Amino acid sequence: MNLSRESAWAMSASLLVGTLMVFPRIGLAQESVTDMLKRQIADMQEQLKKALERIEQLEKEKSATSGKIDQLETATTARLGEVEKSVQAVQSAPTALNPAMGLVLDANVQNTKAGGNFDFRSAELGIAASVDPFARMYSFINGTSSGVEVDEAAAITTSLPWNLTAKGGRFLADFGRFPKYHIHELPFVNQPLSIQRMVGGETQADGVETNYLFPTPFFLRATVGGMNKIGEDNDRVSNIIPRAWSRMTYLSRLNTYVDVTDNQSVELGTSIATTPSVRRVGFPSGGGYRMLNGVDLTYRYQPLGSAVYQGLTWGSEFYTNSERMPFETDEGSFSKRQRTYGGYSYIEAKLNKNWSAGFQVDYAPVLDSPGHRTMSYTPFLTWYLSEFNRLRLEYYYLQNNFRGADKAETGNQVFLQWTTVIGAHTHGFLTR
Amino acid sequence: MKMKIFKSKNWKVFFVSLAFIWLQAGSVFAQQIRVVATWPALADITRQIGKELVNVDSLATGVEDPHGVPMKPSFVPRLNRADVLVLIGLEDEHSWLPALLDVANNPKILLGRPGYIDCSVGIPVLEAPTLVDRSEGDLHPKGNPHYLLDPVRAKIVAQNIAAGLSRNFPQHQAVFEKNLKAYLTELDTWIARWEKMAAPLKGVKFVEYHPEWIYLADRFGMKRIGSVELKPGIEPTPNHIVQLVQDIKQDKAQLLIYGAQNPRVPQQIASETGIKVIRLYSGGGNQPETDSYIKWIDYTVRTLVQAVS
Repeated sequence: MNLSRESAWAMSASLLVGTLMVFPRIGLAQESVTDMLKRQIADMQEQLKKALERIEQLEKEKSATSGKIDQLETATTARLGEVEKSVQAVQSAPTALNPAMGLVLDANVQNTKAGGNFDFRSAELGIAASVDPFARMYSFINGTSSGVEVDEAAAITTSLPWNLTAKGGRFLADFGRFPKYHIHELPFVNQPLSIQRMVGGETQADGVETNYLFPTPFFLRATVGGMNKIGEDNDRVSNIIPRAWSRMTYLSRLNTYVDVTDNQSVELGTSIATTPSVRRVGFPSGGGYRMLNGVDLTYRYQPLGSAVYQGLTWGSEFYTNSERMPFETDEGSFSKRQRTYGGYSYIEAKLNKNWSAGFQVDYAPVLDSPGHRTMSYTPFLTWYLSEFNRLRLEYYYLQNNFRGADKAETGNQVFLQWTTVIGAHTHGFLTR
Repeated sequence: MKMKIFKSKNWKVFFVSLAFIWLQAGSVFAQQIRVVATWPALADITRQIGKELVNVDSLATGVEDPHGVPMKPSFVPRLNRADVLVLIGLEDEHSWLPALLDVANNPKILLGRPGYIDCSVGIPVLEAPTLVDRSEGDLHPKGNPHYLLDPVRAKIVAQNIAAGLSRNFPQHQAVFEKNLKAYLTELDTWIARWEKMAAPLKGVKFVEYHPEWIYLADRFGMKRIGSVELKPGIEPTPNHIVQLVQDIKQDKAQLLIYGAQNPRVPQQIASETGIKVIRLYSGGGNQPETDSYIKWIDYTVRTLVQAVS
């Protein structure tokens, strides 16, 4: 047993030595695996780092590419837009130099003391275009039941220095507010009688006019002009006979505007039309003078967020006429100095986009018969089917303080007006 | 009578003197480029490009009906003093701007002159009518002008403004180009954000009062199924409303968008169909949340997303 025990120890020792000789690294196995794992982790970290760098690089490339794509898309769309515009330009080239044209039809049916009437009031052809870099031109040719007339044809400068604009030809002179509106542009069917009698209807004038816009932070504009006469229906003075310069009519106007709040504004104007020496038609020997003054005041409530649907306008004009004019009486002709006053006031409320209603009061003296006057009271209702199609119902009550008034200017009257527009349609500043 | 005429000159002299005083006062601020923009969003983009070199003024406030801006005479002095005019174009401002330019006595900013910066140049226009006839309503012959609602097209607007400013003031071109680049980068970031944010809008069917929202809808995948207006600019007839109500029910439209229009008809349609009605302005700038172009589009997209969520 002892031998065998010794033998066993010897064999064990031999096996250990042999094993160590045959597998020399087993003794360091634990350390080698850790190193290997460390190396593997380091390798993996390196690979991960490279992968992340690659991903980052790819993302950069991708964003750069998408940026380029965006740029290309923007450039392409811009180019497409330019091409589309070029195509449109080419397509419209044959008509590009034609002036803008529009036609306004104003017709009504009426019942007055004189009876009923389908009244074709006017078909007004408007034409406008630039003349050159220095001027533009416009014209309104008006056909009525009594004929065709050039209502306006005027050239206006566009490039004068010092805030000046000059206008020449036949135009509606810058006197007052409503006197220079074409009748179909008014908020009522008929021009107030005070304008018809004191100004002579629309302020049509053959002459020149210059406007100056003051360089102020608020709107302030002055007009001066010289013309043969003012008033389309003013038959007291000839429009065609040459005359001394003192017999011309000279106009001046000052117009300002203030925004009281974002939604409310006030506009004020004052006008003077003076004729230093008047030669009245039919009175070759008699002379005189005339000075017509006007003050106009307009208040507007236009809520910015709903100006298309709501609003209120209150407008008034007051005129004084001072003149010494020859008159024809049963006892012969004589000159008389006189002063007359007249004017109107109206209020109009916008009920919604399509409907508005208002009321007008007018006081109109008869210039040739001092003391004679007509008062009128006019409710009116307007239905806008669209911006270019309008129906208006108006009741007109006229009260004279004298006998023998024209039936068309007496008593109860009812009008139903239909106004339509085709073609180019621009909103003028003066008739806004 | 002559005496009175001479007397009336006294106040004219007073006003002329006053005008010269204002003229002198104005020269103090002559260092900055005076820009008048028609809408607040254009004014903001111009400020981003011109920075301290420009003094920008917007005519409209942003709450107005796009085609019903009141023609205020108080706009005239601002246009008169402007070095450049920045506008939407495509006849967006046709009902009020040309008449104001006629009396502003400022040749620099007239159509065709260098100071007339039309931001629609190069814009891919949608809804250009094939039939230009008023039987189709109050049309814009050159196409829908409400392109500012698309932020990608706004990049072209910014480029147009930078080009316009550089054309008029070449001495500052480098500054304008640098500011433009920075603004375009900022816009790109926002566009990416809006595209993610607007994911719920994709495929959403909507009705609009006036054809104002097609550019935004096109950008974010919304589908318009009709308009409250019978035709552009024409108020609806009872028959049209009946038909629209049927369409909304049939197509399951989720939103009715209106802006400066009267809320009466949208509310009536909502009561009959249950459609969600939201008021969003196509002008921007009318409240603190929309006082810059980016804030305005952000507010608009967020409001739409909240409405469909």
